[in-house]
Amino acid sequence: MRSVGVVVILAVAIALSISMLIARDAVTTKINTVRASTGNTITVSPKGFFGGQGGGTPLTTAQINDLLGLSNVTGVQESLSENLTTTETSLKSPTLAGFLGRQFGGSGAGVGGSSSSTTTFTIPVRVTGTNSPGNAVTGGANGGGSEKLTSGKSFSPTSNADVAIVGSTLASKNKLKVGSTFTAWSTKITVVGIFNASSTFTDSDVLMPLATVQKLAGASGEVTSATVVVNTIDNVASVDKAISKKLGSVADVTSTQATAEAQLAPLNSVKTISTYTLIGSVIGAAIILLLSMLMIVRERRREVGVLKALGAPNRSIIMQFIAESTTFTVLGAIVGFLGGILVSSPITSALVNASGGSTSTGVSGFVRRTGGSGFTGGGSGFTPPAGATGGGLRFGGLHSTVTQLHTSAGWSTLGFALIAAIIIAALGSTVATATIVRIRPAEVLRSE
Amino acid sequence: MLKVENLDKTFNTGGGNVHAVQKVSFTANDGEVVAIIGASGSGKSTLLSLLGLLDSPDAGSIDIDGVQLANLDSSGQTKYRSTQVGFVFQQFNLIPNLSAKENVMLALEFAHWPKQDRSARAEAMLTMVGLGTDKADRRPAKLSGGEQQRVAIARAFSAQPKLILADEPTGSLDRSTGQKIVALLHEAATQQHATVLVVTHDEKIAQMADRRLEIEDGVLKEIA
Repeated sequence: MRSVGVVVILAVAIALSISMLIARDAVTTKINTVRASTGNTITVSPKGFFGGQGGGTPLTTAQINDLLGLSNVTGVQESLSENLTTTETSLKSPTLAGFLGRQFGGSGAGVGGSSSSTTTFTIPVRVTGTNSPGNAVTGGANGGGSEKLTSGKSFSPTSNADVAIVGSTLASKNKLKVGSTFTAWSTKITVVGIFNASSTFTDSDVLMPLATVQKLAGASGEVTSATVVVNTIDNVASVDKAISKKLGSVADVTSTQATAEAQLAPLNSVKTISTYTLIGSVIGAAIILLLSMLMIVRERRREVGVLKALGAPNRSIIMQFIAESTTFTVLGAIVGFLGGILVSSPITSALVNASGGSTSTGVSGFVRRTGGSGFTGGGSGFTPPAGATGGGLRFGGLHSTVTQLHTSAGWSTLGFALIAAIIIAALGSTVATATIVRIRPAEVLRSE
Repeated sequence: MLKVENLDKTFNTGGGNVHAVQKVSFTANDGEVVAIIGASGSGKSTLLSLLGLLDSPDAGSIDIDGVQLANLDSSGQTKYRSTQVGFVFQQFNLIPNLSAKENVMLALEFAHWPKQDRSARAEAMLTMVGLGTDKADRRPAKLSGGEQQRVAIARAFSAQPKLILADEPTGSLDRSTGQKIVALLHEAATQQHATVLVVTHDEKIAQMADRRLEIEDGVLKEIA
């Protein structure tokens, strides 16, 4: 019964250690993944604008192209977002204005203005001009969605043709197919592809060549957002400074690395907690084992005395107790491993939730208001081109939630834990037994 | 042959020094059973501990077949206990999680008997003390007190020691069983030419020995 108790206590301590080890591994993997996928890009926006709010002057293609000359910059993607009102396009937005649309969108055909009448307000159609359409579409590009080209094809990055790729919801609302046409800025635009992002907001968008949008919108040379790709994560900080210096007060420069670090703060907190808990539980397991073995050895002082009277060398007695404690530890480890694996996921989730981590991220750009003095809307930025570290940065910011962790116990983790447990068991039993082998048998047997 | 001369042992207790063994000298021949009788606290168990090197004397010498035990280092003492001495205790002191046969084999292991011979030797010893093969695989808890003491005797004699030290071997047994145990010790001593020292406070048990020694306040004297 006593042995069962020792095994159970050890199993609990080992389960806690394993769950912390797994949680720490999961968090570390997630942190590394997020850093690898987001850390080498920098977002450049006109000064004073973020998330579609504010005012200011758009950046120019010339300013952005200058950034290509900076050291360690491997690519620059530009975009220009526009809102098409019902007077500017034949397209009808599939999105109903609703309360939020009236509250944030303004009224009538305008956008962002004010009006006493809200009943006629219609959501404008968002058009994004991009010089990175392949990545924008196939990589999951617009507004943090996961766009997939479902039919047709994309357009070339340098195209200035009057073509567009439209979201599936918008296409459905306007009965558009590949080859269909619609009107924008009084120009006939041909649909060359349709994408689906499983997001009503994103699937209501239109993607067009950057040069085309600049030409049709009368915004020649203007961009509303740019993503600078840096060769390595380590150089992001220096490039960030260089861009700020080069563009001066006309731009806000946001490093995705900094954004990612901010998003990863809760995970770093969990990593720290799990590390300290791991150390604590390992020390706890070692103390439990040591005290248990001390108790067992002391209870069996007579047996030790008899063994010494029979001529057993100290080494033999110590080895016997080490074997016993190792057996306890292995049994505890088997139970503890299973328990640890079972509870690791809920414990990790609880730690992440308790750390106050947000469940989503959104680094948004803005939409230049047509002909106006203000901006509204959100969602710009581009998937980095092939070669960007890790790939996968989604249009509009971090695509995946940083707090969605996948816990798994690798063989190396379990192997490491088992070896550590056995070493602790061996040390614990050696220390415990060493206290008893010094006793002379007569002292033990005299109590008869 | 066992030769003890001027053996002294003093314990320092809170109330002062206790002379447990004082100037003890005696000899015992191979195959001889010697009973040491005395009241509780007279020093008889301490004397046995000194002879078995479970404790070290303050003075005096112990000689077995010409070998001075006082000159042995720690590893020499361990070897002496495993090969030259066999212990029989009042409480049997068998290892509870080992079978009767395994208890005997354990002593053979410590005495570095060849591995392949241990099983047969253990069975032979158990047979010698009257335990059949049906009892050999039983753990101590499944044996009676008399049977456990037989296992202890088999264990004590198994490595063919020159000296058997039996501390109240009948103390936990009824009179009849106790007499059988002492008879068994006598028989084994004769058969294996070992010197047997039996500590007892039972006069009738002592009378079964070849010689009787009495210890009182640590002083040993021969009883005619």
